Amino acid sequence: MVDAARHPKVDVRTYTEVERVEGFVGNFKVQLREKSRYVIADRCNGCGECAKVCPIEVPNYFDMNLAPRKAIDVPMSQSVPLVYSIDMDACIHCYKCVDACGKLEAIDFSMEDKLVWEDVGSIVVATGYSHFDPSVMPEYGYGRYPNVVTAIEMERLNNSAGPTAGNLIRPSDGANPKRLAIINCVGSRDKRFNPWCSNFCCMYAIKNAILLKQAYPDMDITVYYIDIRTPSKGYEEFYDRARKMDIHFTQGRPSLITEDPETRNLFVHSEDVALGRVTEREYDMVMLNQAAIPQPDADEMSSVLNISQSPGGWFMEYHPKLRPIDTPTDGIFLAGACQGIKDIPASVAQGSAAAARAGRVLHAKEWEIEPVVAVVWEDRCISAKGKKCGLCAKACPYGAIEYEVGKAAHVVTAKCHGCGGCVAECPHNAITQLHFTDAQILAQIHALLAEKPEEKILAFRCNWCSYPGADLAGTSHFEYSANERGLRVMCAARMDADFIYEAFRLGAGAVLYSGCHPQDCHYITGQRVGARRAERLLKAFEKMGMTPGRFRVEWISAAEGDKYARVINEMQATLDSIPKEKLLEEIERLRPQMEKRARRMRETPQVEKALEYSRELETAMTGKEV
Amino acid sequence: MSHESSETFADQVRAIPGGEHLEMCYSCGTCVSKCMIQHKFEPEYNPRRLIRKAMMGMKQEAFGDKTTWLCSACDLCYSACPQEIHISGVLLAIRELAIQAGYTTFLKTAVVDELTCVACGLCVEVCPYEAITLVEKPVMFRGKAVTVAHVDPNRCMACGLCAASCRSASIGLPDEFSNEAVIENLWEWMRSPVVEVTE
Repeated sequence: MVDAARHPKVDVRTYTEVERVEGFVGNFKVQLREKSRYVIADRCNGCGECAKVCPIEVPNYFDMNLAPRKAIDVPMSQSVPLVYSIDMDACIHCYKCVDACGKLEAIDFSMEDKLVWEDVGSIVVATGYSHFDPSVMPEYGYGRYPNVVTAIEMERLNNSAGPTAGNLIRPSDGANPKRLAIINCVGSRDKRFNPWCSNFCCMYAIKNAILLKQAYPDMDITVYYIDIRTPSKGYEEFYDRARKMDIHFTQGRPSLITEDPETRNLFVHSEDVALGRVTEREYDMVMLNQAAIPQPDADEMSSVLNISQSPGGWFMEYHPKLRPIDTPTDGIFLAGACQGIKDIPASVAQGSAAAARAGRVLHAKEWEIEPVVAVVWEDRCISAKGKKCGLCAKACPYGAIEYEVGKAAHVVTAKCHGCGGCVAECPHNAITQLHFTDAQILAQIHALLAEKPEEKILAFRCNWCSYPGADLAGTSHFEYSANERGLRVMCAARMDADFIYEAFRLGAGAVLYSGCHPQDCHYITGQRVGARRAERLLKAFEKMGMTPGRFRVEWISAAEGDKYARVINEMQATLDSIPKEKLLEEIERLRPQMEKRARRMRETPQVEKALEYSRELETAMTGKEV
Repeated sequence: MSHESSETFADQVRAIPGGEHLEMCYSCGTCVSKCMIQHKFEPEYNPRRLIRKAMMGMKQEAFGDKTTWLCSACDLCYSACPQEIHISGVLLAIRELAIQAGYTTFLKTAVVDELTCVACGLCVEVCPYEAITLVEKPVMFRGKAVTVAHVDPNRCMACGLCAASCRSASIGLPDEFSNEAVIENLWEWMRSPVVEVTE
């Protein structure tokens, strides 16, 4: 930490909060609130004379409030930077510190919070985790029984720099405990509080037990657990070592702790699952391994940074296996427990990886993105004419569209990942996606349905799941109907309702609308935008009286080649079950409605040109004039 | 790929309202150490083990287990269970299946003196387990269709509330908890020498 602070290229800002983040990868603007310490950092040399004369004592939060500190103090003597700060809630303005500081004149009671803007290229979020408060579980008596302590309090009590200089004592009478119970899973693996496993508690239960056993060999230590989880390198061996040191491990979650009011000893009630018998054992002290929970301000942080959260409140990574360090927002990376509970080796590994990822951004002169970004035709956007719309901004999973009434919607190209949700959602076709323009896709639809459209199954496939799914069906030699005609777009979000209407107008026999499973979507919520639209289409076609099964919505992953083949074959069976005259009659009957609904599409720029080109292609292919 | 699977014992338990969350149990033992019946009355009582038996399909062992018949549904364990399993619901579901299979409780349940019962219905009102109903049946010396209280032995938990509330002493528990035995105990206690309680 000291090295980092001294490094000429590292700027450590402590006691500072991030208020706002604007911009995009490589060009972020970050607003910082530098909180006032009431001590001028450049002048303070950390001598500590001010703390010596300060008459006010407040609980030291760094020591889990087990010891006092002065109203002007540093959290710990190794703090970086070693600059004192005043706790203004406690200060009585006696100004003794000002006198003690003397010629340095470092203390400034008129200091105020400073708001500053900084330009940064990339952001690494490493905000860590917080601790579950066990006092909400009355059965363990934390807060009522002085000798029930949390794991972090135990860390301080057993730390040579802690309030007792490493001499472990009971809070009630200051005696050294002879019998200690360690209880795992306090508030974790518990549906009433936090359903997750807190990952490292088993290991620090064992670590603390071993440390204490080394310091006090005659101490009787019992660890109560539901399951001991030691999955990483050397962990199980560490557990073995603890058992060899005569530390007892009892399977069974205690249901109750009671206290002897005179001796302040504690009785732990639990079933010994291995014995199948209920036990009640007496201890001098109990340590609760409380759950790890997200930081209390994780929600605010996620909205400041525009990154999403996983269930429980942890920051969400781009992909749980393949991109665990990136967030969906380019240029923002995650490190450590803020992304999900992890122990020190995993946090350090992720931190190093995040630094490397961030370095890629900083060292790049240009940042490459996918070329399939969205572009707005400003003259077509009704927002520019002062009408309220904003559907594009609502559909964007990345917050890449800046929308304001009176101005045409603006796509921040660097933030756009190219799902095409905005393009399909825009009712005025005022946005297009490069390489997947309406004109291009329409021309493809026309070409694919050029001959005998009533026999064809037009399949819209998303680039990441359904298209590879169909590919897998092919490479695995799963047979499916040869009447299928596939059309690739980037995401289910891009599958414009107008495309479907146009396909049916041209007389397509059946249309498949396929994409990723909701949890697998490569564009965060793109699939959900597409799924909502598909629902609406299904209802509309039902109302029109279309034979069920001619329009089908299926979520097919890249691994489900068999499902793709099955769905296409089922659709073929549906088509085969309708008599041909009836099918043609239905297509004719629905054509005016489809025509009406798809008409807006043809007003889109370049559509006519593309269609002309597609007509030429058709003529060349079929040898007939269209 | 799919294969026919017959309904398991766990499925049967799950199908009865209350028994749904059976498989969520990870055997932490909180319910066992929380249980008052286990603590005060029957050391062999173990809901965790009974749930395990149901999960593993050990039907006969589950029906013969004392735990099946002793749970009074006080729900002390429900509020303590980290998996939010309604344990008494599961236990009562197993009991229901046991009753359907023809098993009966080993508790000494309440009995009705049909000669004196006037079918006032007070016991029906007070019974916390809804074990008592009024039925019409032939009673010797009284007639062919007399309305009297009837105790379903599989629901009765032998708490004795009916005995305490009955105005004609027509319903009560047998043997050591009969009215006579309780009064005898009371007399004995009153006749016993007074013990000075000192601080």
